[in-house]
Amino acid sequence: MRSGAAARPWAGALLALPLLLFLCGLVLWPMGRLAAAAFAGPGAPALRAVLAAGRYRTALGHSLLLSAAAALAAVALSLVPAWILARERFRGRDLLRTAISLPLTFSGVLVGFLMIVLLGRIGAVPKLLELLTGRPFLASLAYTPAGLFLAYLYFEVPRAVVTLESAFRRFPWELDAAARTLGAGPFARLTRVVLPLAAPALRSTLAITFSASMGSFGVALLLSRRFSVAPLEVYTELTGFLNDAVAGALCLVLAVMTLAVDRLLGGGRE
Amino acid sequence: MKKKLLLPTLLLAALAATITVAGAADKVVIQYDCIPNYANWGGVTALYLKVAGVKVPPDDKGSSVAMAALEKEKEHPQADTAYYSGAIGFQAAGKGLHQPYKPKDWEVIPAGLKDPNGLWWTVHTSAIAFVVNTKALGGAPVPRSWADLLKPVYKGKIAYDDPTWGGTSFTLVYGVNELMGGSDKDFKPGLAYLKKLDANVSSYPRESIYNSVLRGEVPIWLNADGNGYKMKYVDNGPVEVVIPAEGSFTMPLVMGMVKGAPHPEETKPYLDWLLTKPAQAEFAKAYFRPILPSALPADVAARFLPESEYKRARALDLAKMAGAADALKKAWLDEIRGSR
Repeated sequence: MRSGAAARPWAGALLALPLLLFLCGLVLWPMGRLAAAAFAGPGAPALRAVLAAGRYRTALGHSLLLSAAAALAAVALSLVPAWILARERFRGRDLLRTAISLPLTFSGVLVGFLMIVLLGRIGAVPKLLELLTGRPFLASLAYTPAGLFLAYLYFEVPRAVVTLESAFRRFPWELDAAARTLGAGPFARLTRVVLPLAAPALRSTLAITFSASMGSFGVALLLSRRFSVAPLEVYTELTGFLNDAVAGALCLVLAVMTLAVDRLLGGGRE
Repeated sequence: MKKKLLLPTLLLAALAATITVAGAADKVVIQYDCIPNYANWGGVTALYLKVAGVKVPPDDKGSSVAMAALEKEKEHPQADTAYYSGAIGFQAAGKGLHQPYKPKDWEVIPAGLKDPNGLWWTVHTSAIAFVVNTKALGGAPVPRSWADLLKPVYKGKIAYDDPTWGGTSFTLVYGVNELMGGSDKDFKPGLAYLKKLDANVSSYPRESIYNSVLRGEVPIWLNADGNGYKMKYVDNGPVEVVIPAEGSFTMPLVMGMVKGAPHPEETKPYLDWLLTKPAQAEFAKAYFRPILPSALPADVAARFLPESEYKRARALDLAKMAGAADALKKAWLDEIRGSR
C-alpha cells in the first residue's frame, strides 16, 4: 500500500479530497461566516460586547471553569477503570466496557432529565436521604453549578475511560519492568517512569474531554437556572433576539478558547 | 474500481428516490410551535389527520423561537403557519413574516382579536394563572396572590418559563410589570417584583415542564390556566388553578400564514378547519377557550373558575407589548436570569 501511494502521489491527494471538501464545507466556511458576523461593523461592536464585562463574559468564564474542572475530574476518575480494562482479563470485561461507554450515546437533554430525576427537588437521591435521615439532603442540586458539573462528568468519564484505555494498551510495560529489575521502588517508578510515559495520553484525554464540555449544550439547557454557559448564551441570542453578530462572536471566542487550551495541552500529540 | 462503486451508487439513488416518493405521498402542513401538550395540539392534529389525511407534525419551538426561525428562513421558508401567544404573533406579522389570509368564518372572531388584513387572528384565548400541584407544596398553603409568592415558604417551588423562549411567559412578565405600575416604556416595577420572586424560583425552563408539574418536581408553575385545568381534569393531577388576587392577564393565542409557505394548498383548508366547531372543541378539551363560543362544551365550561374570578384578568395591548418585546426580554435577561 505504502509503495503504491509513493508511486502515485496524486492518489493520496485524491483520497484526501472528500476530507478536504468536508473541512472546507463544514468547518472553514461556517467558521468564516461566524468570524464575519463577529467582526461586522466598525470596531467589531459584537466582539467588544462579548469580551466586555457582563452576561457574555461571565458565561464564557463559566464554560472555561466548568469544562476544565470536569476534564480534570473525569481524567482522575478514569485512571483506575481504564488501567483495569487495558491490563486485566476477566469475565464480563467487554460487558463492563460497553456499560461504561453507554452514556456517550445519550444526548445532553437526556442526561439533563436523568439529573432532574436523580437530584431534582423530588429526585430519587434526596428522597432516599429523607427516608434515611429525615431531611431531603441534595434536593434541587441538579439546578446548581454542582449539578451541572456532575452531569458533565456523566458523559466525560466514559469518554476519558475509552481514550485512556487505548493509550494504556500501548503502554511499554517492559520499561516499568526494567526499572523494577534495576531496583526502583513503586513510587520512583510511578513518578519517573510511568507518569512521564503516560503524560501525553493524559494530556490528550484532558484536551478531548475539555473540548467536548466546552461545546456541550443540551444538559445546560435543561439544568441551568442562572449559572449560564457560553453555548446557552448563543442559543438565547439566536432564538430570543436573532442576534447573529453576538452569537457569532460568542462562538468565535468559544472556539478560540478551546483551541488555545487544546494547544496548551499538546493537542493530542503523543 | 468503477464496477465496485456502481452497485452502492445505484442503491443510494434508489434509496433517495424512495424517500422522495414517500415524502410526496404524505400531505403535510408545517406549523411552528405545535407543542402536543399545549392547548391540546396533539389531539387537534391527530383529529385533522383523521378527517383530512394531512399530517401536521409536532414542533416544540416556543413563540419567540418560532418567530426567530421564520425570520432566519425568510428567503427559504420551511413552515406554512405558526402559532404564538398574541404579542409575538403581532410582532411576527409586523416584521413581514406572514401573508394575508382570512380563514372561513373570519366573522366569528371579535374585532380586537384579529388583524383587519388577515395577517394574524386568534384561535383561542387563555389567562395567566398559578398552576399549583397541591400535593407537592409540602404543607404550604396554596398561594392566592402575587404577594403570597414572595413568602419564604415557597422557596425553590416556583417556576415560570424563560420569556425569551415562550410567549406565554413573555405575556406574564409584561403583565406583571403593568400590574406593578410599569408600562411599555418603564420595566422597573415589574423587574423589581420579579427580582424578589427570583429567590423562590427553582428554574426558568426553555421546554414544556407540563409533566414536571404533574409529577410534583415543580409545585407552582406560572402559566396558562388551561394547562392547569388539563392537569386537573384530563390527567387527574392534584392540581389547583388560581387567578391571583391582585389581578391577571388574558392572552389571545394567534396564528398566521407564513409568507412563502411551501404547502399553501394544504395550509389554507387546515387554517379554515381550525376555526370549525370540531377543531375548536378539541382546543376546549385542553381548557383553552375557543374563539367560537358555541364550541365550548357545557361540562368544560362548568369546570373553569367562576366568571367572577376571571373579572380580574385584564386584556393587554398587543401593539404596545410587541413594541416592548425585545427591550423587555433583554432587561429580564440582564436583571433576572443574568449570569452569575
